[in-house]
Amino acid sequence: MARRPARAVLLVPLLLLMLIVGGCGERAGSGAPVTLVFKHAKILGPADPLPDLLQRFEARHPGVRVQSEALTWSSDEQHQFYVINLEGGSPPFDVMMLDVIWVPEFARAGWILDLTPFVPAAERDAHFPAAIEPAVQSGRLWALPWIMNVGLLYYRRDLLAKYGFTPPETYEALAAQVRRIRSGEGDPRLDGYLWQGKQYEGGMVNVLEALWANGARLLDDVGRPFPDRERARESLAFLRGLIESGVSPAWVTAADEELTRRPFGDGRAIFLRNWPYALDLFELPDSRVRGKVGVAPLPRLRHGPVGAASTGGAHLAVSARTRHQALAVDLARFLTSEAAQRAMTEGAALRPSRPSLYQDAALVARDPSLPALLGLMEKGHPRPITPYYLMLSTTLQPEFSAVLVGRKSPDGAIRDGAAQVEHLLRAITP
Amino acid sequence: MTDRRLAWILLAPALAVLGGLTVYPALWVLWLSLQYRVPVFSISRWAGLEHYAFLAVDTRFWNAAWVTGVFTACSVALECALGLALALGLRGQHRGRRMALALLLLAWALPSVVTAKMFEWLYHPAGGLVNFLAGGRTINWLGDPDLALPALIAADVWRATPFVTLLCFARLLTIPADLYEAAQVDGAAGLQAFTRITWPLVRPILLVALLFRTLDALRAFDIMFVLTGGGPAGATETLTVYAYRTLFQTLQIGFGSAIGVVVFAFVMVVAVAYLWVINRQDQTA
Amino acid sequence: MRAGRARDGLVLLALAVYAAPFFWLAMTSLRPDTELLPLTHLWPSRLTLAHYDVVFRQSLMPRALVNSLGIALLSTLLAVGLGALAAYALARLPVRGRSVILLGMIAATAFPQIATVSPLYLLMRALGLRDTWLALILANGSFTLPLVIWLLAGFIREIPRALEEAAVVDGAGRLATLRWVVLPLVAPGMASAALLAFLFSWNEFLFAYSLTATEASRTVPVALALFPGVFEVPWGDIAAASLLASLPPILIVVGFQRYLVRGLLAGALRE
Repeated sequence: MARRPARAVLLVPLLLLMLIVGGCGERAGSGAPVTLVFKHAKILGPADPLPDLLQRFEARHPGVRVQSEALTWSSDEQHQFYVINLEGGSPPFDVMMLDVIWVPEFARAGWILDLTPFVPAAERDAHFPAAIEPAVQSGRLWALPWIMNVGLLYYRRDLLAKYGFTPPETYEALAAQVRRIRSGEGDPRLDGYLWQGKQYEGGMVNVLEALWANGARLLDDVGRPFPDRERARESLAFLRGLIESGVSPAWVTAADEELTRRPFGDGRAIFLRNWPYALDLFELPDSRVRGKVGVAPLPRLRHGPVGAASTGGAHLAVSARTRHQALAVDLARFLTSEAAQRAMTEGAALRPSRPSLYQDAALVARDPSLPALLGLMEKGHPRPITPYYLMLSTTLQPEFSAVLVGRKSPDGAIRDGAAQVEHLLRAITP
Repeated sequence: MTDRRLAWILLAPALAVLGGLTVYPALWVLWLSLQYRVPVFSISRWAGLEHYAFLAVDTRFWNAAWVTGVFTACSVALECALGLALALGLRGQHRGRRMALALLLLAWALPSVVTAKMFEWLYHPAGGLVNFLAGGRTINWLGDPDLALPALIAADVWRATPFVTLLCFARLLTIPADLYEAAQVDGAAGLQAFTRITWPLVRPILLVALLFRTLDALRAFDIMFVLTGGGPAGATETLTVYAYRTLFQTLQIGFGSAIGVVVFAFVMVVAVAYLWVINRQDQTA
Repeated sequence: MRAGRARDGLVLLALAVYAAPFFWLAMTSLRPDTELLPLTHLWPSRLTLAHYDVVFRQSLMPRALVNSLGIALLSTLLAVGLGALAAYALARLPVRGRSVILLGMIAATAFPQIATVSPLYLLMRALGLRDTWLALILANGSFTLPLVIWLLAGFIREIPRALEEAAVVDGAGRLATLRWVVLPLVAPGMASAALLAFLFSWNEFLFAYSLTATEASRTVPVALALFPGVFEVPWGDIAAASLLASLPPILIVVGFQRYLVRGLLAGALRE
């Protein structure tokens, strides 16, 4: 039995084969034509305006091809994909679509190109301040806003009108309206207020909005956690109270955007906190709540303002290692230009990052909610702008989640969360 | 060539691989645990024992240690009891022994990710078999902080009991039948036969099974990570899951390594303790 | 006699119930989507292969299956190849510090993966091996190597020395004895060790999850854990993917049961 030599003979070419197959995933774009790789998440909505836009770009730049590649669905996976490829040194893409909260992190890590020399100041000012702020670090611009989001309160116009209510300005009023409407309707399957309480970034957004609604911040000016402890405690207690009092069903602690949008779209809830994309889906011809849905700013708690919603959205950035800097920047600027954003607003359930488009006559005729959204977007503000936001978020999410499921007191969560964040910051800031 | 030299030539490749990929990382993780390391931001600084000092007062760490302890103790106890019972039941089996073992070993051989997904589906509030058999109630097994850990333990017991069964079964087969016959003649049967004959002979192997299962349960990661992700709200977050999240979600390589070192220490202490007990038992036997 | 047969039947039934979760998973993979949620009837009204179709055509499982197979085979090759040589040296040849090395092997089998994953991650990153087959082959192979050495050393020691001495008398050197006398005799033991190493590598999750990034090297457990669901979780598809992921383990348990059992028992009974 010729075991040992046979094995050795097998091993060597196999190892070589593996190295070749496994080692090189991407092949570099060959000479001409120039190929730009554009990585983005799948665009949802009635139509996909992207292929058309990319064709227009190619027409303007003869000899250039844009290869559009979709990312996986989950935001966490997209982030992991980017981190692994960008850390590796030679990422196989040139232009990338980033969640706004990743921009400071990627800038600090040196993975994206400084766009300041390429983008005139006027172009910066054409976008919402809340969109530009996260893209600026040390006075330099690192990404261009592409899609804008803000947290909204959806409500059933028909139900509120039936009981003579206007959209609530305080959460107390919201809870009272829920109780009144539910007892009036007598439908046990009608839920009150749906929001995202699952342990993920979306849950963090909901908690932040509750903090801001009470005038509390997550970090102070020098980055220390929970400067307004008492107000933060009230906010967390309020969220847990929504579940305990039955204003919100217990399953919101495991719900994300889609799991809450669907019941509301089936007519089984009175209020919903979600992003603007849901509105388009509620107004589809076969939607059960078509024509019955209104949007309003998020209510406030005792110490905060009305409409303290979180902004969100996507930006376009250029890989620092791209071999076609000017072209890639051109692509990013083209896709975020007014014309392109207009095309995207018409085609998909997306909202632009340029205030001017919200008052554009043609667009408003198609979508009358735009002017109202404009006001809401201007009132919203971004999540803490720091390269370490994701680290902060993943550290605090379990603490907040523990409060929402009733496993921890708000005080305990704040105390432990602060200790963990401080430990984290000790590593980051010497 | 002398035997000695040949020995080293034959040993060298294995020792090289082990040295580079097992021993070196084991030492490296100790070194890392004394640093602040966040490669994404090029942070690399000496931290000394700061991570360990923090762990001593970190409620999340103590919660994870508690979950790990409860998980290990309950799983191992149930596995050993159930494993022995199944082995006793199998002992009288004459036909279909291969089939019987195959059905059992299947549970053990499946990838733990498959087991996790399988139980996630079984526990599903609306589509799960468990709720269906319980009369159509919609109990949220994995979403309720009080039910998640027992549900996880049940899944792990299902997966690991066959290993204990196999060990006990193999030992039971070596007990000659005439021992039992002689006992019956003497008037001892049933429970006495068990306590006088079976138990003393099976106890050593059960202890070995206990050792293996305890070490495995302390190191377990796949099943809780995929089944619940450590949730809800840390109810099933073991030390391994805490370490993993710290390493690859918050990207704190230094701090995560410290948690890993703690797991390492626990495992080694348990291994040494068990081996000492087994050694003593061998000496008195 | 009849009571014995009835008893046998009962025991088999009990074990079938024990394995029921797996059969339920198999049935789920053939159940049409509309009958999955909520569960109203135990048996589906009809069977469908739609889920397997989705898994083969639209998911990353096919590529993951190839990755897993290649990585498992090669890491088994590595572990058993190096392990057999080392085991022979430790079992039969004079090695200074043999007991220390053996003790080290035993200790190494208890190493928690979570402790070595961060250094391995940094190591693979430094070597540029992230997202490659080689990284996992090395990680898996080295993790199973101590157990393989320990098992094989035990099996080799069971071979009567007289056989080797006879070969020496016939004029064979150590290497020839190893090749022509020892290895053939320890082949069943090597098969057992190989099966255990293969199973470990096939089922391995933590290293695979941490050291891979894309479908270039993603193995089956990782692909299963990351099975995509846009809005709702596709349980039928996941069940089908799980079944595919379980094929090699099932094959081993059904087809190579004897070797598997021998390996498991040898590991435990040789303290």
